[in-house]
Amino acid sequence: MKITVRLFGRYKDITGKDQIKLDISAGNTLRDVVDTFVKQYPVTEKDKSRMMVSKNKMYASFDTTIIEGDEITLSPPVVSGG
Amino acid sequence: MSTDRYRRQTLVKELGQKGQELLATKHAIVIGGGGLGSHSANLLVRMGIGSLDIVDNDTVDITNLHRTSLFTQEDLGKSKAFVLQEKLRAINTEVRVRGINQKVTKENIESLVKNADVIVDGTDSMSLRFIINEVSIKYNIPWVYAGVYETVGMVMGILPKKTPCLQCISQNIPESISGEIPVLGSLPAIIASIQCTETIKLLLGKPLAGLLIYDVWNQCFDTMDIKRNPRCPICGIKKL
Repeated sequence: MKITVRLFGRYKDITGKDQIKLDISAGNTLRDVVDTFVKQYPVTEKDKSRMMVSKNKMYASFDTTIIEGDEITLSPPVVSGG
Repeated sequence: MSTDRYRRQTLVKELGQKGQELLATKHAIVIGGGGLGSHSANLLVRMGIGSLDIVDNDTVDITNLHRTSLFTQEDLGKSKAFVLQEKLRAINTEVRVRGINQKVTKENIESLVKNADVIVDGTDSMSLRFIINEVSIKYNIPWVYAGVYETVGMVMGILPKKTPCLQCISQNIPESISGEIPVLGSLPAIIASIQCTETIKLLLGKPLAGLLIYDVWNQCFDTMDIKRNPRCPICGIKKL
């Protein structure tokens, strides 16, 4: 399944794009989107477990299922320093 | 209220004289007096909030100086809350400022925030932020999350049961990051400015901007328009 992913924060700099198309060959969850993205852009590996992923403008857990046409966004993890 | 002090600010149509007068009736509590909290408290006091409590049980350390602007080397070892109380009172005597040298916990947070119109997040602890989030939703007190890491900062104003809460956006986050958090010195001032503006908008009943992400190194600014999670265990309509 080919899905369009909108990117935020430094992911736009890493990819050089506001949005990318990902080919999700295995699985149909947001975790599969994250896995595919990290594989394509290994520099994001350290964010993998904490990445913020939304589906149709709502943040969702990695286990959330997706279908073609869903609006997916990826952004760097919520930051915690003060 | 001194009219001269705020004259240039009341010329701003988004605020005006009415907004300035309304701001002077509001009480904010800033939790944490480090890089974010001290800058946000400074701006809120200068801009004319009615009263402000700042809570921190830590002392000023040499590692705080690169990202703060109110603390000096002479303050090293002193209570952050009391140093800020003294300096903020000297900046604007029209604002009632109280420094509280106390650790904020699940047990005492309710008594600390009960009279606040808004809670301003200046903590560096993710677990404390979730406590703030819970008490905010329980007592219907808005709060403004802000965080910094390396060169990236985030801000989100949270209006209980109206806008997404911290839990709504935090489904994939482990408890906390261990070790010292890296922060570029120029970042907290910018993020605190954004946080302060969202705080004032919230107090004046203006619409909030959503989740804001700013990367000071790459000068990249994003606003994310997000929805509440109806199944959020903290603020959701259909709690899990």
